[in-house]
Amino acid sequence: MADAAVRTAPVPAEAAEFPGVSIALGAPLARWSLRARDPKALAKAIGHKVPGTIGETLGGMACLGPDEWLLRLPEGASIPLGEGLPLSVVDISERAVTLVLDGDRAIDALSAGCPRDLSKFPVGYATRTIFETVEIVLIRESETRWSVDVWRSFAPYLWTALTTAASHLR
Amino acid sequence: MILIHCPYCDDIRPELEFAYAGEAHIARPADPSALSDAEWEKYLFIRANPRGRHNERWRHVHGCGRFFNAVRDTVTDKFELTYKAGEPRK
Ligand SMILES: [Zn+2]
Repeated sequence: MADAAVRTAPVPAEAAEFPGVSIALGAPLARWSLRARDPKALAKAIGHKVPGTIGETLGGMACLGPDEWLLRLPEGASIPLGEGLPLSVVDISERAVTLVLDGDRAIDALSAGCPRDLSKFPVGYATRTIFETVEIVLIRESETRWSVDVWRSFAPYLWTALTTAASHLR
Repeated sequence: MILIHCPYCDDIRPELEFAYAGEAHIARPADPSALSDAEWEKYLFIRANPRGRHNERWRHVHGCGRFFNAVRDTVTDKFELTYKAGEPRK
């Protein structure tokens, strides 16, 4: 029996197009969950700048909590694991997939299920939040482009919810 | 929707991002095996359950992930204030 891991996409490979917004599966990413009491020690250990304020992003790294960060880099990237140091570097690359919403109406499709006021998010803002009943990490990449990291097993539901919301936009 | 101030995010967020986690300031006994059954029952199950001002734990589960404490009125459901875990009762 072949012992090879095969990655399958949990949502359609083709982007879904609607007036004002497209919804597509993003490219696979390398992702790490990073925990540390001391952001400076973490920055030194992994050789990456660490954003200091919850919601801020810096070079693919988002500050999600007072001692928690999410680092997203292109697939294949690697970082030091900080062995022996009082911090935690956990590879969670395959736990989530990214859905990318692009277009003027992307904010309206997201607002159909997210209780936050998305118009207040500055470009570069990242947050863990909720869409309907599904936890997501939402990143505003530009005025019109949004990245939604969602756990792989929730992706088919989120895809259906977002494309349904987008199809109802008037 | 109720809006709740998270003392860690220092931001006001919709209640859907939060989870209730019971009465606050209940310290786990240092030596549980020294307790009588009645004392252990009191620690595990017996709560103040006030009508009105209540110190209670919440978790910003779909946000920063942190537990914190809040003072909420159990009659009006109004949040009076929130404060970080570990701070004295308010
Ligand atoms: Zn928070």
